[in-house]
Amino acid sequence: MFLFLYRTIKFAVQGFFRNFWLSLVTIIILVLTIFSITVVAGINVVAEQAIESVQDKIDVSIYFKPGVSEEEVINVRDRLQELSLVESVLYVSKSEALEKFRVQHQDDQIILDSIDQLEENPLSATIVVKANNLDDYPTILAVLENPEIDALVLDKNFDDNKLVISRLSDLSDKIKRVGIIISSIFVVIAILIVFNTIRINIYTHREEIAIMKLVGSSNWFVRVPFIFESIMYAIIAVIISVAILYPLLGLVAPQVSNFFDGYNLDLIEYASSNFLRIVGLQFAFAVILSVLSSSLAIGRYTRV
Amino acid sequence: MIRFRNVSKIYSPDIYALKNVSLHIKPGEFVSIVGQSGTGKTTIVKLIIAEEKASKGRVIIGDWDITDIKEREIPILRRQIGVIFQDFKLLPRKTVFENVSFGLEVAGVKQKKINDVVPQVLKIVGLGGKQERFPRQLSGGEQQRTAIARALVYRPKILVADEPTGNLDSINSQEIVSLLKKINQFGTTVVLVTHNREIVNSLRKRVITVDQGSIISDQKSGKYIL
Ligand SMILES: Nc1ncnc2c1ncn2[C@@H]1O[C@H](COP(=O)(O)OP(=O)(O)OP(=O)(O)O)[C@@H](O)[C@H]1O
Ligand SMILES: [Mg+2]
Repeated sequence: MFLFLYRTIKFAVQGFFRNFWLSLVTIIILVLTIFSITVVAGINVVAEQAIESVQDKIDVSIYFKPGVSEEEVINVRDRLQELSLVESVLYVSKSEALEKFRVQHQDDQIILDSIDQLEENPLSATIVVKANNLDDYPTILAVLENPEIDALVLDKNFDDNKLVISRLSDLSDKIKRVGIIISSIFVVIAILIVFNTIRINIYTHREEIAIMKLVGSSNWFVRVPFIFESIMYAIIAVIISVAILYPLLGLVAPQVSNFFDGYNLDLIEYASSNFLRIVGLQFAFAVILSVLSSSLAIGRYTRV
Repeated sequence: MIRFRNVSKIYSPDIYALKNVSLHIKPGEFVSIVGQSGTGKTTIVKLIIAEEKASKGRVIIGDWDITDIKEREIPILRRQIGVIFQDFKLLPRKTVFENVSFGLEVAGVKQKKINDVVPQVLKIVGLGGKQERFPRQLSGGEQQRTAIARALVYRPKILVADEPTGNLDSINSQEIVSLLKKINQFGTTVVLVTHNREIVNSLRKRVITVDQGSIISDQKSGKYIL
């Protein structure tokens, strides 16, 4: 068993270096495939994170008329909370609003003074509604149009957000569509590349495999070195891809962060905290791709 | 050693490569098989090494009826029969030494023994100083001698050569044939398939003549009769 492993690995290493240029071509093809798929995946991550962080910032605030009682406001809040589309409803009572106002303007004595002059709290109770999804806001707003509720409402900041919301859902749709198109293009390219690798493999190995069988190799002695050789391709391809991708990320990440200024989007942080997962996925992908393609080639030519 | 009992080989309904062939080659014999192109000589070789299966009849090597051999037993058979081809069939990515040692390596022979045996065999075939070369760096005769070394390294009881001189000039051909004779003198059964009249006539050994899939003559100390 040890002798078998030692010899098959030896044959694999020999095969790799004695056919250096073909090995190199195969590796380059693998690197390109890994590279393009990682880039598409990266774009997806950026898009998803961007949409998520923007989505987080969007909500609808409902300001109630001064005379509306706390009970009525809570009633509205409960009704909203029952909607499945709603992620959270935050109720800010009149006194809480005043408290906040004071904190916000603590350095401005004139304003604080004038607030104190007033007998009644001039601020209105507020409900802040967050939807699960961008597309759900129109539905929620429609619920608020209900005359029963509408009568209590002084103002909604809905109109300010309306534009942002519709733009964002447009944008997110577009990003998704483009992402799907780009991904499928790369998947097609990857399939073609795998096919070509199989063909190259068949071409270079068919004679060799036939001869090995003629001099009395068992099937395993023929197959295993090719499998090991393809695993070597995968390992080297992943190392090269990582060596290209990470410096590239260093260049691109600040631009991306600038573009999404104010949103929490640190690609380098993401890439380094997910390093093992990313490299692991790339490796799994490369090994499956190359082992599958060489197995297919071998399978066809190891029969007597 | 090699026995064909009423063997027919039908590649497709209209191609009868062999028709009802019976022959018996005894241990230690040197037999030439001659015949025109397309008469089934290579088919006989392929049946001996189980590259093809007989359509009818039985093929027996030693005591082993290989007519219905299982696929995983084929390597065991091939390690007992040395085969040489017209086009050498060397592994292009392996050196002379590795081409010869490959068969031993896949058979699980220890490295020490390989390092012992392979140079010996290479010396016998006259390739002593060229073991680190690749096949493309060798002449045709040298490539064929590498192939013979590969066939010999198992110490097979049978050596089958299918037109081993077909790609060589007459001097190289003579050398290969005298090598085969030497191997036969060591006790190995040699089956030589050839077109070469000169060689057959100079050998003065048993000659089997095949025509259109049948044996038409089998002479003890034969001549090339076609
Ligand atoms: N795999 C195959 N499929 C179909 N027909 C085949 C196959 N191999 C050989 N034949 C046919 O069987 C017949 C015998 O072929 P074989 O190779 O045994 O001839 P041969 O005597 O070795 O000829 P040559 O001297 O040219 O090498 C030929 O007619 C050939 O066309
Ligand atoms: Mg032939």
